[in-house]
Amino acid sequence: MNIEALLLSIRLALCVSAILFVIGVPLAYWLAYSRWRWKFLLEAAVALPLVLPPTVLGFYMLLAMGPRGALGKLWYGAFGHGLAFTFAGLVIASVLYSLPFAVQPLVASFETVDRKLLDASAVLGAGSMRTFRRIILPLSVPGIITALVLSFAHTLGEFGVVLMVGGNLAGVTRTVSIDIYDRAQSLDYAGANRTALLLLVISFIVLSAVYGVNRRAGRRAWAPWPLR
Amino acid sequence: MGPMAIEVSPATLVARVRKIRRGDASTLFVLDVQMEAPPGISILYGPSGAGKSTLLDCVAGLAQPDEGRIAIDGNAIFDSEEQLNVPPQARQIAYVFQNLALFPHMTVEANLAYGLVHEPEQTRDVRVSEILKMFRVEQLRHRKPREISGGEQQRVALARSLVTQPRVLLLDEPLTGLDAELKGSIIDDLRAWNAAHKIPILYVTHSREEVDALGERVIALEHGKIVSEGTPREVLDAPRRRWLAQAAGFENLLSGTVLDLREPDGVMRVRLVDAACEIEVPLGHAAPGDRVRVAIRAGDILLATEPPRALSARNVLEGSIASIEHRGTLVIARVDCGVVFTVHVTPGAERALELGVGKKVWLVLKTHSCHFVEG
Amino acid sequence: MLLSAMLVFRPAGAAQEIRVAAAADLQFTLDELGTQYEKQTTRKMNVSYGSSGNFFAQIQNGAPFDVFLSADIEYQRKLEAAGLAEAGTLYEYALGRIVIWMPANTRIDLAKLGWKALLDPSIQKIAIGNPEHAPYGRAAVAALRSAGIYEQVRAKLVYGENIAQAAQFVASGNAQAGILALSLAISPPMREGKRWEIAPNMHPPIEQAAVILKSAKDKDGARAFLTFLKSAEARKIFESHGFSVPAPGRASAQPQ
Repeated sequence: MNIEALLLSIRLALCVSAILFVIGVPLAYWLAYSRWRWKFLLEAAVALPLVLPPTVLGFYMLLAMGPRGALGKLWYGAFGHGLAFTFAGLVIASVLYSLPFAVQPLVASFETVDRKLLDASAVLGAGSMRTFRRIILPLSVPGIITALVLSFAHTLGEFGVVLMVGGNLAGVTRTVSIDIYDRAQSLDYAGANRTALLLLVISFIVLSAVYGVNRRAGRRAWAPWPLR
Repeated sequence: MGPMAIEVSPATLVARVRKIRRGDASTLFVLDVQMEAPPGISILYGPSGAGKSTLLDCVAGLAQPDEGRIAIDGNAIFDSEEQLNVPPQARQIAYVFQNLALFPHMTVEANLAYGLVHEPEQTRDVRVSEILKMFRVEQLRHRKPREISGGEQQRVALARSLVTQPRVLLLDEPLTGLDAELKGSIIDDLRAWNAAHKIPILYVTHSREEVDALGERVIALEHGKIVSEGTPREVLDAPRRRWLAQAAGFENLLSGTVLDLREPDGVMRVRLVDAACEIEVPLGHAAPGDRVRVAIRAGDILLATEPPRALSARNVLEGSIASIEHRGTLVIARVDCGVVFTVHVTPGAERALELGVGKKVWLVLKTHSCHFVEG
Repeated sequence: MLLSAMLVFRPAGAAQEIRVAAAADLQFTLDELGTQYEKQTTRKMNVSYGSSGNFFAQIQNGAPFDVFLSADIEYQRKLEAAGLAEAGTLYEYALGRIVIWMPANTRIDLAKLGWKALLDPSIQKIAIGNPEHAPYGRAAVAALRSAGIYEQVRAKLVYGENIAQAAQFVASGNAQAGILALSLAISPPMREGKRWEIAPNMHPPIEQAAVILKSAKDKDGARAFLTFLKSAEARKIFESHGFSVPAPGRASAQPQ
């Protein structure tokens, strides 16, 4: 049972979820409220990781992280070493891969906020920031939770991308999914099963906890009042 | 009603707005109005799709006119020529939407305080308490919108918009769905507030009763254009549009052709289509040969069972009763003079004149009961 | 250049087709062998390339292959023990060789320095196969120990899931050097790089074997294929692709 790999996966999932929240929220806000006529192109781009096979995405990330790639050159210039085979490399690749899982629930949530509430807020003197903080965000809590949970779960289970750019370094890039794969490859099925079971149990506990809290939060938040 | 420390200076809203909206199936809607709203309640009256809400949105800054100028007391908040467009946050205009848009996740108190963030906490608390009292919703302070009744939500929505002491108040059909008594009490509160703070209030409605109850000024809007303006009496009792006439309860709407104009007498003669009879109506903007419509209230028509003589009324038409209907204490007679008129009489008159189907009668129409209507 | 760890199917049409499961690093070799085979017999060859470990698991669960070629004889031995392979068909077709490989534009004089090249400070990452389950990875680690530099380069090692992925890491520039299979190093995409052959006695032999599966539908075709693998012609092809071929009679199976 490889606790180190499991902890690494959890650390990766937490980092990626946090980063996706920070960049996802502004991106989702723009996608929900912008009226730019080419918006649909950006929407398609954000959804791309949903259809690309993870190994394909991983492969192109590997090239981008190399000395000839844009990302690689930047990183090497800043830090003096490569981006592949590092935890940071995994984080960046995972953020890209899980992007739609964070952004789409956020966009859906923002879009369902009654536009009239936003108008009312504006008329009452609130600028965009205050309207966002006090009206849109609180009314989007279920969507935010969904986005965070999906990012976390999706990253936790990630395999293809990590396989391509990780390099399988213990404690650094050997996530639990890689570890399970290794054991199966080494024909240590018992070991693979043990780790897989542990991953399953932990994931289930985390997801149940989050959905349980979300349900209560959902009830405390607003419910549509009777229409006149 | 407690004393409010700050008085808003009386100021007039002047708006010249032109806005084109492309609907589906290549329909084009053009809002083209020029209006003034002095302090007090001005009613925007018209059928749905007339552009009332669009006009309110333009005044509030939530929609942008293609061309025009909007100013309060001479200070422009929108001017297409000067490229001026003050954002809604800065216009100090209050707007109560049709669906109220109360913030569902906040208490009544928080809703009211929302527009007052820039005030120091003391002032905020005082103003919120005062307006809660004024609109009689003090006990609801800590409730959420879904926990209070429709009428209470209305008051809270009004209170929320007025606590910010706006320069203009916009109301979009705020009382639909409430029963008459509730409407009445809210209107009273609104009037009381208005008496203390003389600001222009634009009140959108399609309800005749609200016009009568509230109306100081009525602006009738149709297809994006102002078709009539004035007191409720002027707009509705001398209706110049067919829908106004119908709204105002003119049972008779007749088509005719203008024969000639008699300006010194202030009348024009109209030949009623299908009737081969002519009547005199007040002078209107028409030329001989124009097709026009004439609206006459059923209650304004007199019935005679003998040819009347020496009457001041200029229009006497001969016909026979086609049908008689009783609705409560109202007797509705349909009289065929070539054109069918609807006439209201009392049961007593019916008995005294021995009215029955087929009976030959004469109808008397006063010139000033005949209203020339466009559309 | 897209050396992929994914399965690659070569479409074949006619009947009398044998289905071969082969380790990914055999791609170029088997392609050439297949062309020869199809010329000589009337049969067609349908090859699936992938990871030996995956194939092993699939075969255990009834995957419909006729012949299984891997880079590690252990898989075939286990299949035999489990009764999933035809008795007496285990054939060691080649011994794998490893090399140190660097991109052509490296400033290091690999030919002169040999092992010492890996100690150069510009070498930040060295890609090898995963020693836990890839035979080429195990061999690389053993060779590094034999050369006495394992502890010094240990922190620089990155592991590819198979030798093909290790090659991918170096070829993309993310690792500055790698210990790869010779067969990969001389394949068209990698041929231009610098390589330094590692003596076979520095690591345990990389025994690559083939076996006919019990589940084979076309047993005759499979046998014919195995016979072909033992032929002089096939041995020449193996050698030209960087494998050493054991002398005839060295096959670690009972004679037919």
